[in-house]
Amino acid sequence: MTVETTVSYLLGGLVLTLQVAAGAWAVAVVFGLILALGRETKAPGTRWPILVTVTAMRSAPQLVVLYIFYFGLSSVGINLSPLVAAVLALGITEAAYDSEYFRAGLLTVPQAQRDAAQSIGLSQFATFRLITLPQAIPYVFPPLLNSFVGLLKAATLASAVGVDEILYRGQNLFQITGQVNEIVLIVMAIYVIFTIPLTKAIAIYERHLRARVMA
Amino acid sequence: MAGALVVTLILSAVTAILSVLLATFIAIAAIFPNRVVRFCARSYVDIFRSIPLLVLLIFVYYVLGTWAKDVGLNSFWLAVIALTLNEAAYLSETYRGGLLAISQAQRDAGMSLGLPWHAIMRHIVIPQAVLPATPSTLNAVIGIVKDSSLASLITVGEVTLIANNIVYATFKPLQVYLALGVVYAAVVIPLTVVSHAIERRVPSAHDFLGELSQSGPMTIARKSP
Repeated sequence: MTVETTVSYLLGGLVLTLQVAAGAWAVAVVFGLILALGRETKAPGTRWPILVTVTAMRSAPQLVVLYIFYFGLSSVGINLSPLVAAVLALGITEAAYDSEYFRAGLLTVPQAQRDAAQSIGLSQFATFRLITLPQAIPYVFPPLLNSFVGLLKAATLASAVGVDEILYRGQNLFQITGQVNEIVLIVMAIYVIFTIPLTKAIAIYERHLRARVMA
Repeated sequence: MAGALVVTLILSAVTAILSVLLATFIAIAAIFPNRVVRFCARSYVDIFRSIPLLVLLIFVYYVLGTWAKDVGLNSFWLAVIALTLNEAAYLSETYRGGLLAISQAQRDAGMSLGLPWHAIMRHIVIPQAVLPATPSTLNAVIGIVKDSSLASLITVGEVTLIANNIVYATFKPLQVYLALGVVYAAVVIPLTVVSHAIERRVPSAHDFLGELSQSGPMTIARKSP
């Protein structure tokens, strides 16, 4: 098998890698924001359940959560496809971290502004949507972008439940051809080539955002 | 299961110790006066942070596998190698930040006394950087414990692999993997508590970094890519 066909077959796996990462990212952002807001609310009885959820999500390895979603749930009759199981497992473990980014970002907005918004008659939701969230976004967005890069790498775990992504294709190939070293090197090279520029670009974007916020 | 948990703990402990050593070495190299040394450290960090841990594990398992057999290393040690190469890249970035957080004025003062670079590092910078680095080191240990579950995929007999075997024998994946999650939580949560307790007592590295401190406490158990 030539190098070109190997590379193009492996790059074909990028489609599913991106699907897993993008899906998990969306789950993590939505769930993370809900958790962050849940920890801010003063409603009785919400603090402990959320704290327990966040702690549980942060202490379980992604691979174990993936096994629970894929093998565990199917044994009680909930059959998720490998892709959906990977999206949910990676999304939920990531959400614990995203909720911290949201919390840290929301804390940068002074309480006085929220008080002022309430005193001119804005509802709690309107205060959040119009005052707090827009100002928190420059602080929250870069770590969220970084979490996407992290998910691109974590998407390799989906190969363990048979999602046809880059690593899975690589393992298929070296079972057929036996050229393990070459193929794993190509897989590593694909990740290096894609994620280093992405990480650098995010760092530059973050500096740019911060400079604008400071000004 | 208990024996396998011991494997997980030893795997994590050995990896943690080696990662701290390698990360310290890389962090110092990353701020070394010589540009070539800095470039090498920088490249190491960039490359190993961009390779997924699972890919690195598989690479080490197959590529070093034949060599490892000759020198008598089993898959446990191959997992240690892969985990260490990966974790040290992330941890060294935290350490580099901690070294740079020691104010330039102190380093300038050391230079004006005629101290050579290595003496400034040894007597002024590193002693002050150790304590603030402990919470992030513990967070890295938490990450290592969780990441060590991937070693099951290269046949290391730690808890996740044993859990897989129990699932094959009992056909009760939900109960077994939930129990496995509890086992990991039982290791990770005490570490988290200790880490938070230390964080409250020692000045965090972020306290020295003006731009970061205003976004609140950000030392959470995670490897930012």
